[in-house]
Amino acid sequence: MSVRETTTLRWIRASLAVFLKDWRSELRTRYAMSALVMFVVTTISIILFSLGGEGASPEVLAGMLWVVIFFAAMSGLSRTFVMEEERGTGMTLQLLTPPGAVFAGKLLFNLVLGAGLTLLTVVLYAFFINGFIVRTLSIFLLTIALGSVGLAAASTIIAAIIARANTKGTLYPVLSFPILLPLLMTVINATRLASDGAPLGEAAGEFQILISYIVVVITVSTLLFEYIWKD
Amino acid sequence: MDFLAQHQLYIVLIIAVGIWFGLYIYLFRLDGRLKKLERDMHREQH
Amino acid sequence: MTLRILLGVLLTLVIVAALGLPMVQHPQHWYEFPSIPGLEEKARIIFFHVPTAWLSVMAFITSMIYGIRYLRRKDPMDDLTSASAAGLGLLFCVLATVTGAIWAKFNWGSYWNWDPRETSIFVLLLIYGAYFSLRAAVEVEEKRATLSSVYSIIAAVTVPFFVFIMPRIMTGLHPGAKGDPDGAGPVIEFKMSLNMRVVFFSSLIAFTLLFLWMLSLRVRTARLEYHHQPKG
Repeated sequence: MSVRETTTLRWIRASLAVFLKDWRSELRTRYAMSALVMFVVTTISIILFSLGGEGASPEVLAGMLWVVIFFAAMSGLSRTFVMEEERGTGMTLQLLTPPGAVFAGKLLFNLVLGAGLTLLTVVLYAFFINGFIVRTLSIFLLTIALGSVGLAAASTIIAAIIARANTKGTLYPVLSFPILLPLLMTVINATRLASDGAPLGEAAGEFQILISYIVVVITVSTLLFEYIWKD
Repeated sequence: MDFLAQHQLYIVLIIAVGIWFGLYIYLFRLDGRLKKLERDMHREQH
Repeated sequence: MTLRILLGVLLTLVIVAALGLPMVQHPQHWYEFPSIPGLEEKARIIFFHVPTAWLSVMAFITSMIYGIRYLRRKDPMDDLTSASAAGLGLLFCVLATVTGAIWAKFNWGSYWNWDPRETSIFVLLLIYGAYFSLRAAVEVEEKRATLSSVYSIIAAVTVPFFVFIMPRIMTGLHPGAKGDPDGAGPVIEFKMSLNMRVVFFSSLIAFTLLFLWMLSLRVRTARLEYHHQPKG
């Protein structure tokens, strides 16, 4: 029994090590973070300009929020795998860490990054966009929490796939969008419910879908990651 | 023109069958050519 | 050989029956289709539109199954079969989408309405597009095969969610699919008469045979190309 504990512990430590490595490297270069911040600010500014002072219906605004979040994720969440390819460190990482730990570490990294970008977008959006009113806060908070987790989960596995391809930048949203579509539709619907002021119970179905989506995507990703990662 | 307007569905039918026949013949010939190539390759190997 | 002849005869008969047999208010003979008020002649599309849509889904499943086989056995032929099936699936998907849009225009007034059925076929189209973009972007054969297989599995896993999402989205929107609660689903909705059902299922069988034949042709071609590559 003690042997099993050590292996799990080692695994957890390996995942955290991968996460911390990416995190420290990110803090040093701020590559993904600056891209994300600039992207969110630019996009929201463009939306403001095009709205020109008048608002849009709450339904449209709910959808647009997630459009911004989706594309922000597309601009930043692939970094964690692409940088390994660019720096040529992928091979070393393969030798040192079990693939499951690599995936867990990078997933954690993207979860943090994803949470950050979602929070930033929501805050800026709520402050600057007229007409975006959230009446049921509980639905909204749960939605952005679950939404960002699901977004990070799907984005991470797709990032692993495109890191080995030629046209990484354009391929990333192309591959991610069909996978994320169930999540986006559910999350936009839930945001709309939150805008309308529906009671928490009415969004229960949405949350069920989100939770099962997260579970399914993470399970399938963990199973398949080894095939992508091994060279 | 009136004849065409009256029997539109049958015109579509004839066109559809025509397209299908064309496709079928194409596939059939392709199949034959493939079989020949496969036979040649098989002979080459032995 | 017999299957090919059967396919030729069957699909010809299907086309003739689907387009040629008369549609009347009160069918008296075995060769008359019932004409449904509101649909009338437009109902004929069901003999072509539904089989192509059905087949595009089957093709995707085939592609995924061979993808899984590839991941297990690493046999390049499995990957080539997977890609060939996907190619056919894309073709059928485009056909289904286009026939559906044309029918929607005639039936409901606009080419596209984002109702559940239309959205699902569109998503399938996106998945196929993504699959081929991925394949085009990877040059190394083994990597391309592995990544395609993995992606098709991931994509297949997210599709079932739409079954649960669609009803929630549609009840939330205001014009609920122009009075058709299930979108364009006349197979389930209106009862087809016996002769219509015969033609319909024959069409399904015929198109499936067509798919299998085209798939085998593509796979055989791919196999010949693969073995005929210049060595070294």
